[in-house]
Amino acid sequence: MNAAAKLRLSHVGKRFDGAGRAATVAVDDFTLDIAQGEFLVIVGPSGCGKTTVLNLLAGLDRPSAGSVTLDGREITAPGQARGVMFQDYALFPWQNVRGNVGFGLKHGPAGDGLTSDARARRVQDCIDLVGLNGAEDKYPHQLSGGMSQRVALARLMANEPEVLLMDEPLAALDAQTRLILQDELLRIWGQDRVRSSRRTVVFITHAIDEAVFLADRVAVMTTRPGRLKALIDVPLARPRNDATRASAEFRALSQHIWSLIRDEAYRATVT
Amino acid sequence: MAAPLLVYLRTMAAFFVVWALVARLTANSVLLPSPLAVFEALFGLAKDLELFFHAGVSFARMVASLVIGSLLAIPLGIAMGLSRKLAQIVDPTIEVLRPISGIAWIPLALFIFGIGNALPLFIMTYAGFFPILLGTIAGVRGVDRRLIDAARTMGVPPRTIVARVVIPAALPSLMVALRLGVAASWTAVVAAELIGAPSGLGYAVEWYRELLATPQVMAFIAMIGVLGYLCDLGVRALSRLFTPWASDARSAP
Amino acid sequence: MNDAALRVMRGLSLPIVLLFAWQASGLASHNVRMPLPTHVVTAAVDLLRSGELPLAILQSLWRVFAGFAVASAIAIPLGLLMGSSRTMERNVDPLVESFRPIAAIAILPLAILWLGTGTAAAVMIVAYAAFFPIVINTVAGAKGVNPTLLRAAATMGLPRLRVIRTVVVPAALPAIGVGLRIGMGVAWTAIVAAELAVGAKAGGGGSGGIGQMMFVFYAYSIELNRIIVCMIAVGLVALALDALLRVALRVLMPWSAR
Repeated sequence: MNAAAKLRLSHVGKRFDGAGRAATVAVDDFTLDIAQGEFLVIVGPSGCGKTTVLNLLAGLDRPSAGSVTLDGREITAPGQARGVMFQDYALFPWQNVRGNVGFGLKHGPAGDGLTSDARARRVQDCIDLVGLNGAEDKYPHQLSGGMSQRVALARLMANEPEVLLMDEPLAALDAQTRLILQDELLRIWGQDRVRSSRRTVVFITHAIDEAVFLADRVAVMTTRPGRLKALIDVPLARPRNDATRASAEFRALSQHIWSLIRDEAYRATVT
Repeated sequence: MAAPLLVYLRTMAAFFVVWALVARLTANSVLLPSPLAVFEALFGLAKDLELFFHAGVSFARMVASLVIGSLLAIPLGIAMGLSRKLAQIVDPTIEVLRPISGIAWIPLALFIFGIGNALPLFIMTYAGFFPILLGTIAGVRGVDRRLIDAARTMGVPPRTIVARVVIPAALPSLMVALRLGVAASWTAVVAAELIGAPSGLGYAVEWYRELLATPQVMAFIAMIGVLGYLCDLGVRALSRLFTPWASDARSAP
Repeated sequence: MNDAALRVMRGLSLPIVLLFAWQASGLASHNVRMPLPTHVVTAAVDLLRSGELPLAILQSLWRVFAGFAVASAIAIPLGLLMGSSRTMERNVDPLVESFRPIAAIAILPLAILWLGTGTAAAVMIVAYAAFFPIVINTVAGAKGVNPTLLRAAATMGLPRLRVIRTVVVPAALPAIGVGLRIGMGVAWTAIVAAELAVGAKAGGGGSGGIGQMMFVFYAYSIELNRIIVCMIAVGLVALALDALLRVALRVLMPWSAR
């Protein structure tokens, strides 16, 4: 147990009371420490409660049991320190790219103390960072899936949160775009920088190869009620690229994790 | 494959031809005047501007009733959409009043307002109020939760979320509600004017009926149709102007 | 406090407050004519006991049903045809769309001209009013049928009309149901409007029905309490008709998720 963990979930449980139906226990006795600068990926079969864990970290939901803390302080509500990237992008359709990326700066605490020029500069920097230079005036309905996800990422980065929470952000993309964006994600996150200067990331996916490619550590969840089944270190060297994907180490890790999940995944298809 | 406009013209031409034949057969110009007679009446009314006067009056009433109705219904709808408690308090009263159509209010309203401008205005505002209110509530409730969540995770305060996320996101539905309100108002305008106003298209239709001047009656009825269609077109254009991102505003009318 | 009970209390709060305010302002005012909740109740009892109200409602209802039946008989087959055949739709749609913005009540003077101030004109108005929602929703329902289903039926060798009968109709039933419900609502509003207008123009005589009764109470006996009773009756009947139709549709379509 790292006493200086950035994020800590401690014996967290979450139950949803159905209207008239029996309650669903989404997450049960879940304990996990996430270190500063770490890229942690949570994998598990469908419906295992991964998104619930993310919502708890984001503060969008409160735990029924246990505690969720950031830097030792209890998380009670969403906030700018914990930025979220959603699976379906959640871009504001009435704003163009620039408006979306700058939204948190304009209306939230991230922009406090910044002049409008400074804000515009940061927005442009983030747009450039994700490679969308030239698309600033486009609207979400004019963007492809890959572009939309880049905008969501730029919006996330613009608010400079301490922690990045990502809920299956690449799930809606086709396989090829996915691979490209995985590389981009690592580049934008700064995978070649020192750990202490990187932001903490909690990333949800059900794709194992994606998990192994991106993560420092992989947390494997069981099927509902979700518990922590295993915590796997991923000692693959950074920066990671296509060569990494082809390496024997990568494949061994993927196989190992799959063998852990397999039973859970099977159970998820019959319940 | 004929262009839509050509098909439209072709169908309408067929319609007029059939009409002309039936008119010739019945040979009673009071019962069924020929299309030509109606067109003549139409031009005559347009020439001395009577057509436009009544059309203008009805249109002005509709715009006024829409403005008043929206000013009442939209804020209430937003509040009810956001607050379950408020919705629970107000909803039953709304549901009790809604089935009592605007038209059923006419006798009571006649007593309160008398014949004049206020009566059609009241009836039309009442008629348009409910579709706009219900559409607004649905629009606010239907806002994608993820958008609100996204704003929350950026630390945006609640009141700003309502102004900068909920309302823009609900705008497309609001436009649909407005279209329905326009349709309801326009239906009510005719009924209200027919019974209780000294001017307007509904009044004109009835006036000419009493004179047994059927061509003029039909001319005004046609005008009611045309203006109703134009108003709907207008709201759709406004939709595209205010909510260019909305999918149904982008597709062809 | 229990959730459901709280809801009921909140729901009743506004109407009760309004009724009290109304009664209070009525008692305070010196206008003898002003209607009061209590008077409305007595008027309702009177009208019910004398049979005038039920009779008027029945008169209006039978016209509504007649007009509704006529409208459905034309609109549903037409809608199914239009929804199944692109050419049919393209050719007939201009007519439908041109007349749709013309409210039924605007046709009333024409109807009176042609059919007099009696039941025939009223039924015509109701039929015209109900026609549009039914046909439009039927077209949408027929168009919304999964084209794969149609192709499947065609590859089984079914002739066009049989496909419509056996595939399109059941698939379109929910949408047709929506159209019928809207049509019924519009029909009821139309009959009240028509009877009101006829009552106003025919000088109170004429064909009966609740709209006409309302007008008589306005123009002749100036019985505001009775007018309000009629208004409430109009509302209640509208709700009852919709509920009736919903039940009938559910019986007809037990498979539809409603």
